[in-house]
Amino acid sequence: MRIAGLDIGSTTVKAVVLQDGVGVWRQYMRHNTRQAETARDLLQAMEDEAGLTPEQDVIALTGSGSGTIAPFLGGAQVQEVVAVSAAVEALHPDVRFVSEIGGEDMKTIFFTPTEAGKAKQVYMQSACSGGTGAFIEKSARKLGISGDELNEMSYDGVTLHKVSAKCGIFAEADANSLLKAGVPKEEIIASLFEAVVQQNLATLTKGNTPLPSVLLLGGPNMFFKGLREAWAHHLAKLWEDKGTELPEQTSATDCIHTPEDALYYACLGCAQIVGREKAEDNLYAGLEKLDWWITEGQIESKAREGRGGLKGSERDLVVFRAAFEQPGVSESAKASGPLFVGCDFGSTTVKAVALSEDGDVEASVYRQSIGNPIEDAKAIFAALREKGVASIRGLGITGYGKDLLKDILGADEPVVETVAHAAGAMHVFPDADAICDVGGCDVKIMLLRQGTVSDFRLNSQCSSGNGAFLQGVAERYGVDLDDYADRAFEAEAMPDLMMGCGVFLQSDIVNQQRKGWKSEEIMAALASVLPLNVWVYAGQFQNLRSIGRKFVLQGGTHRNLAVVKAQVDFIRDKVPGAEVVVHPMSGEAGAFGAALLALQNHTPDQQSNFIGFERVSALEYHTTTNDITTCRWCAVNCKRAFIDVKVPDGRGRPKSKVPVGEGWERVITGNSCSRGLIEDAVEYRDRLAEITEAKNAHPNTAERIREDAFR
Amino acid sequence: MRIPILRNASAKTPSADRSDRNPDLRVGIPRILNQWSTPRFWTAFFEELGVKRRNVVYSSATSDAQQKQYSQGRGAVDCCYPVKCISGHYGELLTGLKKPVDVLFSPKVVSLRSFLGSHVVDCLGCPRVMAGPESARGGFVREGDSFAASGVRYVSPVVNMSEPMLLARQLTKALEPVFPGLSHDETLRAIEMGWREQDDFDAESREVAHEVLERCERESRPAILALGRPYHMDPGIGHEIENELQACGYPVIWGQHLPLDTQLLDRLFGKDIRDGSLASHFDISDVWKSSYSANTNELIWAARFGARHPAIAAAVRFSSYECGMDQPTYTPVQKILEARGTLFFSFQDLDATKPSGSVRIRTETISYYLERHSKRIMDRKRALLSGDAEKVRVLSESDE
Repeated sequence: MRIAGLDIGSTTVKAVVLQDGVGVWRQYMRHNTRQAETARDLLQAMEDEAGLTPEQDVIALTGSGSGTIAPFLGGAQVQEVVAVSAAVEALHPDVRFVSEIGGEDMKTIFFTPTEAGKAKQVYMQSACSGGTGAFIEKSARKLGISGDELNEMSYDGVTLHKVSAKCGIFAEADANSLLKAGVPKEEIIASLFEAVVQQNLATLTKGNTPLPSVLLLGGPNMFFKGLREAWAHHLAKLWEDKGTELPEQTSATDCIHTPEDALYYACLGCAQIVGREKAEDNLYAGLEKLDWWITEGQIESKAREGRGGLKGSERDLVVFRAAFEQPGVSESAKASGPLFVGCDFGSTTVKAVALSEDGDVEASVYRQSIGNPIEDAKAIFAALREKGVASIRGLGITGYGKDLLKDILGADEPVVETVAHAAGAMHVFPDADAICDVGGCDVKIMLLRQGTVSDFRLNSQCSSGNGAFLQGVAERYGVDLDDYADRAFEAEAMPDLMMGCGVFLQSDIVNQQRKGWKSEEIMAALASVLPLNVWVYAGQFQNLRSIGRKFVLQGGTHRNLAVVKAQVDFIRDKVPGAEVVVHPMSGEAGAFGAALLALQNHTPDQQSNFIGFERVSALEYHTTTNDITTCRWCAVNCKRAFIDVKVPDGRGRPKSKVPVGEGWERVITGNSCSRGLIEDAVEYRDRLAEITEAKNAHPNTAERIREDAFR
Repeated sequence: MRIPILRNASAKTPSADRSDRNPDLRVGIPRILNQWSTPRFWTAFFEELGVKRRNVVYSSATSDAQQKQYSQGRGAVDCCYPVKCISGHYGELLTGLKKPVDVLFSPKVVSLRSFLGSHVVDCLGCPRVMAGPESARGGFVREGDSFAASGVRYVSPVVNMSEPMLLARQLTKALEPVFPGLSHDETLRAIEMGWREQDDFDAESREVAHEVLERCERESRPAILALGRPYHMDPGIGHEIENELQACGYPVIWGQHLPLDTQLLDRLFGKDIRDGSLASHFDISDVWKSSYSANTNELIWAARFGARHPAIAAAVRFSSYECGMDQPTYTPVQKILEARGTLFFSFQDLDATKPSGSVRIRTETISYYLERHSKRIMDRKRALLSGDAEKVRVLSESDE
């Protein structure tokens, strides 16, 4: 009798055939989300090459995708961890720790010998891509590294850099910026291996020490030589630290094994388990039913699984459109007269708004950032001038670039982004309780109380819920972002996408597509999962009712009516009677707020500090990027650029290692955190002295506790 | 204000025979959770039992490095981050000290002593915190006894800090093996000495706060009230967020250190006592009925103090990720403070990472509003306190 074991995983399908307990055939294939079709191909091959016979031989299935397919084949379904454990116990009685890394999940199994046999402790995570194979492959693809190259890349002896292990999408961004900074690909990949092992050890050991001997299973562990080296490095160190005794005459490396058939442990295990049962319960039913599923069944099931479309009823949609489809703020054909300008220098976009003395919007500009704040400033002021803004009476400035540019441009009102957003929102909606700003790369939520921002949540750690994702999907379907909503509203039904990690959301989309969901239906589903990601996953709000009842939506992503509809439905469902509004200057709300504050805080006889259009366009600067400018505050070692700008009363930086004389002002960019804005130890000492002085003048009672109490 | 402790405990002072005791005994105490409000108690307590003061050692404050180095693979499974950190402190005390300790003392705190004691239902600790030492211990015994391996005796009694006689029984029983011949009376005396030193230390903190508040009021400058659990003063847990405000030029007073002198309290609460809406300066029953938790009670009371004191223009609230004790207090604390126009800001869901970017933005935000509104807020609060209805009306209107 033959037993077929089929492991339908998140990225590949693996299959083995056992004859009298001995493996006689095995193969694996990537399924590219065509799980059923790939399984079918492998089954066909088993019939043809290994003699698997319907109604005579036995079949067992395992893996995250086996639930759907098992009923068509007749065999039993075995949970994958159970399957892997069974194979490990049978083949390696001395193994104490197993790490199995898959495409979209990771598992650890600890075996502890006890009197009653072996105790097993299993940990698994499959909600986030950090630490999985997808995490490495996605970055490698971006770096243009082929699969074969990746397999051979090393970890040992390669310089490591810090890569975010937490989120696959950000790891990709980190990898990108390392690449831009001139770090060789080998070092980036080695750093990814490092991140994966650390993530596994940090989240999936939970109080247990991985003891020898160790088995590394799954595709990534088997294929990536560097990943195995990273495991060996960390486990050897761990054993040394803990004084773990290794079997005599062995080194740590001898105790870590990746068997040649590391990919097939789940298949082998499920085949072994089912082999112990009665054969007639698990007979292979042949391909007929699976064929039906592939050609008809999965498409029928699609209709049952889905839910009503985003648009609701036709009447709902009409009401919604009437309420939210605003013409936008009308700008004067050509701005004129002295105006109040607000600029918002964000990390990816730059916005500017010009207001008349009465607060009417005269001009607005929205541009992608070039990455150099001086060039961004030049571009935005040139654009304002093109729109007829000729003279500025007050300049407000906000956003990431505020501190860099306020002196250089001569801003009258430099304000932090929260204050600018709140001012912009409360001017239009004085009774607003919350602002939800969804931009391209981050999500900001501001709670308003007593005219101030009482709570602020910023999520830029996890890409879940931001707008870049929608854009990516729209691009993939060849849909212009402006047409997104119209397309999404065409859908009569949509699939349920899962909340959470953007990396998995991507593959979930492909999966739903495979089931026959059409592009507009997927676009509708994606918009409708966004509020969940924004409020619950990224914003960490469990109870929306505690926030209030009037919600203002703004940020570029809320220009998309499909997202707005989803937000309105979501918020009203959670907060009965909630009022949801979209800021009329959705994308430029921060700049609008900064302009308003410049206007409000202006006194009649006040002269603006603005240096003038001519001087902005003629700003002279030079940039230094070299070893000295590299940030040394932490191990990330950001490649900073020092941009020295010529300004009449610039203070210069005589003490700097890259000195610059009076008449120049330095702007530091390319840093990834605020520490990098401090040039070096000399400047740090000066800053520290200032801070200490401020602290002495203004006590903090906790300081006594920190310094004196524990004596 | 001194809280009465015991009747004449120190009067009976039979001196114990200490010849069996190790004169150089070293006691290690993890710097965790409620230790942030009672460290001097334990230092003085052990000193009274004959341990040299320099031999009472605390683990260092929570830090990333400490957690990485000492808790690796021993992590307690708990969603409370401050509890999870206990493992790092244990690890440091077991293996990270230059001079090792003989005893690791980690009490399971059932109840706390509080100045609100007689005005509330009870003074219990958080059940998670109470059980914290147990879940941390688990990580150090599951693969062999790490305490024994380091030659350290682990002492972790259940303690009711609010009940001295019971506390003495609990500690005598737990510590007799360490201090041979330890008697109930000796423990009782040590407890008294402990509280004496802790009270003196707290009184000084409250005095500092008093001076700051008086000066701020005199100079019409705003002070900030920090509201949190005692462990939010731990740099690894509260991330020293309030220091950034301090650096912007605002003094910070923690709710744990508010002045308690009668004259001031009378100014803040006297009217309500006279009109019968409060039973005493320390009555919180009108806003917090289920006053079982010592730290929660004090937090609510501090919010009320902050709401009334004219120098406190803003309050900043800290709470850790998914804190079940804090959850029901969010709205009441905010409402109490806002009732008289005190600005309220909160930093919730703190965990292992310091959210530097968002902290910087938020500090700037708080600073911006304080710069613009604190004078009016302070004037209005003062007018409210002195019952100047006309001034309150004018100041409230200028708000619009």
